[in-house]
Amino acid sequence: MMVMKMLMMRITLLCLALPCLANTCTTARDPARISVAGGSLTEILYRLGAEKQIVAVDSTSNYPPEASKLPSIGYIRNISAEGILSLYPTLILGEDDIGPPAVLAQVHAMGIDIEILTEEHSAQGIIDKIRCIGSIIGESGKANELIKQFMLPRIDELNILTKKGRLANKKILFILSLQAGSPIVGGTGTSAGGLIRMTGSSNAMADVAGWKATSTEAIISAAPDFIVISRRGLNTFGELDEMRLHPALRFTPAAKAGNIVVMDGMQMLGFGPRTLDAAVTLSRRFSSTKP
Amino acid sequence: MRVIAHKAAKVKNLSANQTLTLISLLVFAVAIATLACASGSFDISLWAIVQGQASALENNVFMQIRVPRVLLSGFVGASLGLSGAALQGLFRNPLADPGLIGVSAGAALGAAIVIVLGSRFGVGATLGAFLLPMAAISGAALVILLLYILTSGFGYQGVTYMLLVGIAVNALASVGIGILTYISSDSELRGLTFWTMGSFGGVTWALLVPALLLITAALLAMVPAARALDLLQLGEIEASRLGIDVGRLRYRVIFAAAVAVGASVSLSGMIGFVGLVIPHLVRIVGGVHHCYLLPGSAMAGAGLMIAADLIARTVIQPAELPVGLITSAIGSPFFLWLIFRMKKL
Repeated sequence: MMVMKMLMMRITLLCLALPCLANTCTTARDPARISVAGGSLTEILYRLGAEKQIVAVDSTSNYPPEASKLPSIGYIRNISAEGILSLYPTLILGEDDIGPPAVLAQVHAMGIDIEILTEEHSAQGIIDKIRCIGSIIGESGKANELIKQFMLPRIDELNILTKKGRLANKKILFILSLQAGSPIVGGTGTSAGGLIRMTGSSNAMADVAGWKATSTEAIISAAPDFIVISRRGLNTFGELDEMRLHPALRFTPAAKAGNIVVMDGMQMLGFGPRTLDAAVTLSRRFSSTKP
Repeated sequence: MRVIAHKAAKVKNLSANQTLTLISLLVFAVAIATLACASGSFDISLWAIVQGQASALENNVFMQIRVPRVLLSGFVGASLGLSGAALQGLFRNPLADPGLIGVSAGAALGAAIVIVLGSRFGVGATLGAFLLPMAAISGAALVILLLYILTSGFGYQGVTYMLLVGIAVNALASVGIGILTYISSDSELRGLTFWTMGSFGGVTWALLVPALLLITAALLAMVPAARALDLLQLGEIEASRLGIDVGRLRYRVIFAAAVAVGASVSLSGMIGFVGLVIPHLVRIVGGVHHCYLLPGSAMAGAGLMIAADLIARTVIQPAELPVGLITSAIGSPFFLWLIFRMKKL
């Protein structure tokens, strides 16, 4: 109910900002040439077999690997009006951080359809995204098939792994990267927080809102059982052993027990279908150790 | 007295070299503007537009996206270049820059407030594209007001104080931006970062026309100060004895520059080094007289800014680079060279 209300509010706001670019999830006038901004949307289009309709992707669309061979419209928050129009798209599909708004308004004024999908960091959010894209490109059947074949089995597995809240006492610390000596951690309201919720465990940094640099003391007192980090994030520490012995982390239970999980960042935080795989893998890992 | 007046009249005339330079700069600016109108990631034939054979989409892209963008970059370049030249003259300091009086920092603070706090209250969405430039220009106006109040007590030797007040205002605004940066969400932070790198993308006629009027008025107010700025180079006391009202000159230049820079920055974001570097380039080519330097800096600024934006939007098409990145990438090595040159002297 709450979620629905927030969704409606966001849609209303979007409507006010631009001549209504809200996500209506209705079939587009012409989905023949799609320009995509958002890695999860690109993944879903590929899984729906609509990859031939994609004319351009943004820099976060790195999965499947062949998607990065398509023309790039650059970073999702910094698209160029002329650049995107030069590919003659008939439809622009974007995650909700697509921007800047002024450029979107320009492109929309040229008569190009823009559909912005709201982001919801949960398994249901991914299912909604698939459904929505399915109806926009007129492939609802394939979308339902994808949900049945890919999503539901993984959700079932997650439900079994997290049954009766058995992972709820596991405290997970998600680190984005190391910046100027302090780790940037994912707090409440971040995609990392959503991923941790999906795994049935609890966020060690629930007191923090957003992505924040944290002090060594805060990390030690949070006492995480597991540390999750992306491959790119690990590179900011160096090798896994260097991370384990990093002054900010070495006194945590996770670092002492060597419970550091490294995974592809876009897979974990992109909230496309493959994020479910990430959640299942993490849940399995969290339940493999004794409490 | 008559001797001075006679000499003044002689100095005021531009030399043949300077006239030639001004004409070539104008030709350069017009040529680069035409080239910029003709090129971009969207393939448009200028000839087809002129003949009316272009498709509706081509016409729209040309008139609604490309032309406003070229105009804006030209005017912003002119305003930064001319303001830089006038401020360097006023402060008698070759390292003065429009950013120095704190106006761009004020504009940045206004923009940061909208980018970070706007989305929390929903106001950022309601007013859409208008709110950000409005906030930026209010920030700039606030700084202008602050400068006026804080410096009104100083006599004609007050230029140094004004400079120091500018530095202090800059620091104050940075604190505000720092706090906003800290509380910003991931996407707000990215928005902020991109704003501070500058871009001419997303400009519409409705935003462009008021800004162009403000910039034009401010630039026209600065050009007649050229002669007084020349005399000011002798020193403030000397200029004052030669009949220059240094106090009035100071207000005229600073407030005109503040309006020009505020209006520019509100639409383009922060664009570094143009105001600093352009006047030096123009001085190297044709000399230091402000009658030549002020219009020359405006034209060179316009031409180079249009060129920088052309690079920004075509080099990695269909994506684009922030234009401030390009001007700073060219400007900072030049700045270093300036410093080393000064050390030798």
